[in-house]
Amino acid sequence: MGVIKGVLKEELENSLRMKSGYERELAKLPRGSLIRKIVKGHGYYYLLLRENGEVKFIYKGKVSGDEIKKYQDAKEYRAKYRKLLSQVKKQIRFLRSSLRGKESV
Amino acid sequence: MEKNQYDLCIKVLGRLEKSGVLKDVILIGSWCIPFYKDYFENVQYPTAIKSRDIDFLVPAPLKTNTKADIPKLLKDLGFIVDFKGPEGYIQLEHSDLIIEFLVPEKGRGSNKPYRLPQFGLNAQPLRFLDLLMLDTIKVKVEGIEINLPHPANFALHKLIIFQRRLREEKAIKDRNTAIEILKALINKGDAAVLLRVFNSMIPKWHKKVIKGLEEVKEKEILDLLTGGEK
Repeated sequence: MGVIKGVLKEELENSLRMKSGYERELAKLPRGSLIRKIVKGHGYYYLLLRENGEVKFIYKGKVSGDEIKKYQDAKEYRAKYRKLLSQVKKQIRFLRSSLRGKESV
Repeated sequence: MEKNQYDLCIKVLGRLEKSGVLKDVILIGSWCIPFYKDYFENVQYPTAIKSRDIDFLVPAPLKTNTKADIPKLLKDLGFIVDFKGPEGYIQLEHSDLIIEFLVPEKGRGSNKPYRLPQFGLNAQPLRFLDLLMLDTIKVKVEGIEINLPHPANFALHKLIIFQRRLREEKAIKDRNTAIEILKALINKGDAAVLLRVFNSMIPKWHKKVIKGLEEVKEKEILDLLTGGEK
């Protein structure tokens, strides 16, 4: 195997491991987003999530600042990890197609 | 990806500098090569393929007052913690970069990860890394001061380890990089520095360097280091 192909093969192994890593981190994040609704002048929180293709609002009532922060952080990390996971998937496609060639480079 | 990767690397270095970690570690591996740019100035030197791996060498034992939770420090950049191999060496992974911490392996050696509670992670012990710590240089990259092994140490180290590589393509890459850097050092007029570094090495390492040079038939470099005795 040529030097370039060797490097690409190692990068493919890295990307495959990273894909599992990002999927694992995404699964660890709390599901759903907190939504604040105003009812008769009072704010109440609902957890908005999708289950079996359906959107569900789960009543949470009044929640602590820590809980709000937890869901805010989760939302940020979910967006970040999804973006990076999509990049990793593109890398995997690119690396697989590059390694398919028979030339020894 | 190249620009994103470079920008991310600078962000990582910036955070490590701000937290006080960077002064205690040495950047090693293929990322050294682009950072040797200023050292070599007008001399042509290799532009080796750099992988996503960015390695930091930590002196063991680590004598520092710095305390930094590195995984936490880099989490919002998108780095996740992963464990390599059955030994569980920690590496911080991002789609553009993989960060690893290494320590020189001492004595009989052990595969056990070296604990670095000061930095919130562990490091992988590897042979011959002491050579990279013997002579270091400081370079400024985007205003960030980083420690790098002297190019002579870097090249001689590569010349030793290419013989131990299990993957042939990695061995070829290391060997080619070593020879190109050694030639660049000679062209720069640093033959005396190279000879000094070589002479400061232990006899066991001498033998390995000579064996490596003999294998690649680099007579000019071999003569320079051995005074034509080989």
